[in-house]
Amino acid sequence: MIDAADRASMEETVRAAIAGAEAGASIDEVLGKLGWLELLDAEPPDAIAVVFGALGATNGAATALDDVVLSALGTKPRSDLAVLLPPFAAWDPPGRIDGKDLHARGLATARAASARELLVVCGSASEPWGVTIPIAAAQVDAVRGIDPALGLHAVRVQAEPAVATRLAPAAWQAAVALGRRAVAHQIAGASRAMLALARTHAIERVQFGRPIARFQAVRHRLADALVAVEALEASLGAARDEPDPETAALAKAVAGRTASTVAAHCQQVLAGIGFTTEHAFHRFLKRTLLLEGLFGSADEIVLDVGRRLLAARHVPTLIEL
Amino acid sequence: MAFSGNGMSDSRTVDLAAYRAELHAWLDAHHEQLAPRFAPPGTLDDHIAQMQRVKSILFDAGWMQFGWPERVGGRGGSPLLRTELGAAISGRDLTDPGIYSLIEVLAPTLIDFAPPELAAEVVPRLLSGAEIWCQGFSEPDTGSDLAALRCRAAPKGDARTASTWVINGQKVWTSLAQYSDRCVLLTRTGPADSRHRGITAFFVDMDTPGITVSPLEMINGDREFAEVFFDDVRVPADRMLGELNGGWAVAMSILPYERSSCFWQRIAYLYRRLQRLVDVAPDDDRAAEVVGNAFLQLHAVRARSRATQHRLAAGATLGAETSIEKVLLATAEQTTYDAARRLLRGIVELDDGVAGETWRGEYLYSRASTIYGGTAEVQRNIIARRLLELGSDE
Repeated sequence: MIDAADRASMEETVRAAIAGAEAGASIDEVLGKLGWLELLDAEPPDAIAVVFGALGATNGAATALDDVVLSALGTKPRSDLAVLLPPFAAWDPPGRIDGKDLHARGLATARAASARELLVVCGSASEPWGVTIPIAAAQVDAVRGIDPALGLHAVRVQAEPAVATRLAPAAWQAAVALGRRAVAHQIAGASRAMLALARTHAIERVQFGRPIARFQAVRHRLADALVAVEALEASLGAARDEPDPETAALAKAVAGRTASTVAAHCQQVLAGIGFTTEHAFHRFLKRTLLLEGLFGSADEIVLDVGRRLLAARHVPTLIEL
Repeated sequence: MAFSGNGMSDSRTVDLAAYRAELHAWLDAHHEQLAPRFAPPGTLDDHIAQMQRVKSILFDAGWMQFGWPERVGGRGGSPLLRTELGAAISGRDLTDPGIYSLIEVLAPTLIDFAPPELAAEVVPRLLSGAEIWCQGFSEPDTGSDLAALRCRAAPKGDARTASTWVINGQKVWTSLAQYSDRCVLLTRTGPADSRHRGITAFFVDMDTPGITVSPLEMINGDREFAEVFFDDVRVPADRMLGELNGGWAVAMSILPYERSSCFWQRIAYLYRRLQRLVDVAPDDDRAAEVVGNAFLQLHAVRARSRATQHRLAAGATLGAETSIEKVLLATAEQTTYDAARRLLRGIVELDDGVAGETWRGEYLYSRASTIYGGTAEVQRNIIARRLLELGSDE
């Protein structure tokens, strides 16, 4: 495992590389040159923390989420293989086998536009099956939505003849857990970026003869935003130290709550300028709204966790000293 | 057994998970001996007696001494050991963490600032349940602004050579003052406007002539804290803690303990409260959402507190960044009790049974979590100035 200081410096490197990428060069290429796949293979927790944190901070769009999910499913990631993600706000396997035919509906990264094949997980979360089909057999449509720059695609597969292979029983849960952590790291990076923008604005913007950062109402909003970001980073630390589906689910739920808290406070502090596309804030706001829905939103996860607490009549502590 | 009893191994090398496992096994085996003797919810007198009894049993068995230095009768080892103990007994409802964790803010003060013989004499009495101590900080005009305190200590003769100091003034919100044998007291020894530069700490016996304690009834009906009046109270100079006019350092030294071990104990207690709610809450989606949300907040503050304690154990100095967990904890605590009130209709407002008395008392107490130990607003001011570096707000 890489220590926190090294991780921070790696994240800085990745961030700089993404920010400095030549016009036209894809962030996937930049990450490839930095050794993303090798790091993901050797140290998955560090790899996702560094790369997704940097993607969040720079508002970068990449297809690295495919690599995360594929590797958790036990498949070697490659650039011509895309993976079908669950539909917005959901996390069950996105496919089902009906007789010999595959039916599936979900989302995919921009990789779906260039890959040759698509991996679809079917069955249930505890009994997953994998099906690989030619991408041409799927209906793939670019999603514009609130954040076209992320490059998401809507994918539909209808009655496609397919051969399914049984996956390890925990494979889908592991993929969801790692996917959730990756997305939560990206939200953490984006949330810190929003806070940095609002902080700068509060210090520079003068009203009533003084910087608005001197007003306690403004200070307390930014303080609450920082508390939310720190809660997310602590939850991600817990998911890393005690990796299991539950700690990953909670980290993703905290990410959703953090994103909405940070966005609301920062947008209010940024006021008029934050309401325009001249200022960078709107990109982070839109990105986090979209990321919130990948692998389940905070509301959906909280409901699911709460149902399980009530079903078991047990409150686990999950992490110890 | 490797940890308990007198033939224990070197606790500095112990594995925390193994310690925890053995501790819980021991607590399981001694459950009947440790369990409260009173019918719940119990009065404050009951809770105080229970705390002292539990401390005494744990002290006799050797658990209470882990994580405290040998020079005050401890068995050494990481402070995380005593954090585990506090969380284990709070999480099992054997003691109330609010009154038990006063140990964590008082014993370290004596260890760090008292003459060594005094610390060696009195700290074991606090740990063993033989004594109760209180903390005389707040005053009527000194809430969030501690440096404004006025309770005066004057030397009999020259300040540098005086053998006796005479204390006059008033403290308020002093928890457990009427039960206490001693008080860690902050006094004004400099000029009236000397703020944090003119404060000195003393360790005062509460049976000294001139001390009057007048308990205050809290919103939940308990008399946990009191007004304390000092009228020509004579204190020997060797009861000074730290340097003359060095009391601010004494007060500030408490922060790392309050924000690590005490928080972890309170979090364990709140998990237990959520468990109690989950035991009886309706099994529907509205309850699932409310319970899930409280669980999410408790998890986040537990994750944060855990990281902080590992930093502390690794030698870090804790500071302004612990205002983050202070805010998270206060919010999670109120959310947990709000959840109970929302899901168990009328439990707080109407129920005169044991469950109602318990939830009502704790619900009302939880409203103070955004006030004590530095208000939520003070924490946000600290976060804004020190962590976000927004500059002065003046």
